[in-house]
Amino acid sequence: MKNKNNEHNGLLIVIEGTDGSGKSTQIELLKQWIEEKSYGAMVSEWKTSRLIANVIDDAKDRNLLNATTFSLLYAADFADRLENTIIPALNAGFVVLMDRYKYTAFARDVVRGLDFEWVEKLYDFAPEPDLVFYLDMPVDVLLKRVIGTTGLDYWESGRDIGLSSDFYKSFTIYQDKCLTEYEQMKKDYNFVSIDGTLGVYEIHKIIVEKVQSLLDEGKLD
Amino acid sequence: MRFLKEHGLPGTLICVEGIDGSGKSTQIGILKDWLKSKNLDVIYTEWNSSDLISQTTKRAKKKNLLSPRTFSLLHAVDFADRLEQVIIPAMKAGFIVLADRYAYTAFARDVARGVDRDWVRNMYGFAIKPDLALYYSISAEISLERICSNRTPGFYEAGMDLKLSNNPYKSYVIFQNRVNNEYEKMVEEYGLVSIDAKQSIHAKQVEMRKLVIDILAKKGITL
Repeated sequence: MKNKNNEHNGLLIVIEGTDGSGKSTQIELLKQWIEEKSYGAMVSEWKTSRLIANVIDDAKDRNLLNATTFSLLYAADFADRLENTIIPALNAGFVVLMDRYKYTAFARDVVRGLDFEWVEKLYDFAPEPDLVFYLDMPVDVLLKRVIGTTGLDYWESGRDIGLSSDFYKSFTIYQDKCLTEYEQMKKDYNFVSIDGTLGVYEIHKIIVEKVQSLLDEGKLD
Repeated sequence: MRFLKEHGLPGTLICVEGIDGSGKSTQIGILKDWLKSKNLDVIYTEWNSSDLISQTTKRAKKKNLLSPRTFSLLHAVDFADRLEQVIIPAMKAGFIVLADRYAYTAFARDVARGVDRDWVRNMYGFAIKPDLALYYSISAEISLERICSNRTPGFYEAGMDLKLSNNPYKSYVIFQNRVNNEYEKMVEEYGLVSIDAKQSIHAKQVEMRKLVIDILAKKGITL
């Protein structure tokens, strides 16, 4: 079952973390850094396939999804992106930077009551990443960041699970449950865990050190 | 996995399987009218028909955009949506649920497309086990004759995505034979009841009603 699926010419680097943990900022900085070194870099974000992303948004708007359907829709979105953009880019020798990967699905789906092994097997076609960074943020810091930027969102607050009718409370419980799942995965999947409360450039420095050693292995040269 | 256990719900789930042209939809249609005429609570649901996703899948199919994996996942989305929104509530309310195609369709088609057998079975592990599953068995050649009396086979239906042949008719036969092979294996694996689809509509309906009467009797419904 431990199919590595990574017989390609590129490198696959993942940044994981809950909403508001600073993933997108770090990916942007990392992309620039990689390109500066004359390598090709491509970013792929969660839920962006042209085929299905709008279906997910539409269903979310109407609050229509049960946990299984929700999970399968994300998996379909992922499969579509994987086959149409990620794998071709890897085969061409790009560094593909993933803003969220299968671990996001594992955390969200398990919190919604699905069986971990079922979800893990559902994603067993995903290539094994070369590096996974995890931006670790305590719930209280996260909460402040999200309230200060995008505001609390129905799904990110896990309101669909009926944890609490109070938005603030629901967000806290939901994100806390997600963090517990990430905590477990850290060990199981060898995440490089980084304290997400550090400054943007401090985090960037930690990330590029790891990426540099990966590049030094010479796979892309 | 829920799919391997008895569902334990008050309702009765009956599904028909088989390749196109096997007459399964005709059979389940006649059955539905008959059960309704007996004043029983019946609902009917067909493959790839959920409000959520079926239009997206149809659009993508038209553009020949789908890999076997994505094809498989989209159909699972449709199935999950119908299962949770339609089938399970009706089963809880004690309805007779008639399904034109069920998870076995995915097991047959997706595997014939080269998707991993265990992967598909795991994915559909959330499905409930039918009380009766009928497989209408017919050769790919006869199926082709029947469906092509009014149209050419569709791209995915003919397995054209697998590049088995540039001729859609030839490709259809090769692909649907593979699908039939998968169905054959499921007769033992899942206890599908195999029925010779070459018989007349009447003969097939008589056979179907016999089986349905037995199943309903077990639920305390006498006909």
